[in-house]
Amino acid sequence: MESTFENTMIILSFSALLMALLITLYRLMRGPSSSDRIIALDLVVSVVMGFILLYSVLVSKEIYVDIAIVISLISFMGTISISIYLRHKK
Amino acid sequence: MNVLKKIYYIILFPLYYLFKLVKANLFLAWDILTPKMMINPGFTRIRLEISSDFGLLLLSNPVSMTPGTLSQDIDRERKFLEVHLLYMDQREVTEHEVRDIMTKIKRILE
Amino acid sequence: MTALTSILLFLGSVFILIASIGLLRFRESFSRMHATTKATSFGLLLILAGVVFYFLSFIVAIKALLVIVFVYLTAPLAAHSISKTVRNTGKNKR
Repeated sequence: MESTFENTMIILSFSALLMALLITLYRLMRGPSSSDRIIALDLVVSVVMGFILLYSVLVSKEIYVDIAIVISLISFMGTISISIYLRHKK
Repeated sequence: MNVLKKIYYIILFPLYYLFKLVKANLFLAWDILTPKMMINPGFTRIRLEISSDFGLLLLSNPVSMTPGTLSQDIDRERKFLEVHLLYMDQREVTEHEVRDIMTKIKRILE
Repeated sequence: MTALTSILLFLGSVFILIASIGLLRFRESFSRMHATTKATSFGLLLILAGVVFYFLSFIVAIKALLVIVFVYLTAPLAAHSISKTVRNTGKNKR
């Protein structure tokens, strides 16, 4: 992480993910129906996964890749359970 | 000979899937980033030709990932696949593409 | 940290940003699902490819392959479930 090009690129990618998180949180608060909120929540989890992968490159420790596996499984369970709950709530 | 042909098709299918994936994402990025969005969403139904569980999984996953389509529902008799289209004016082309994927899956499974 | 790694990481983040802009701009729930299903999975695929090229070890490649397979198996299923909910509750207008 000494050379300037790669530093700039990783800072730019962190800021892109941060902007994505802000836009998604806006949709999560604003969302007209509850299904839009589920879609936004699904995207929030993916953005957090991207943050953790970028952080593992930044500190160069490969143990953080394990967190991505767990998050990818848990987010699927959460999305499915919330959507089935809303379907049967009426 | 037959086994070799099947292995060839099994190797070819992920490459086709990757090509479709890149194309779909470039189309979607172009559509989102240009200020005037040319989208025109709607539903359509496509007649199914495969009915096994694994075949339907293999079909609905690439349909969700190819440009402008998202697989929605399969009715109880497994006759029709309901697809949400992003570009309703190119409906014929998209239905032809989905049928193309279906023939590729039939070549693998049979 | 080669140039290839940083370019892959940047492209993946940009695709996730594109997915969120699509979530903001599209008019109805089904079109929003198009954006989140396709672009997010592709962005995660690019970021994981960058991670694999950065570490260049076998176990990281296996873990990244597992994450890619999970994401690509579960993203269409989640979209399918959400769209079934939208059509059952009938609130797909704005």
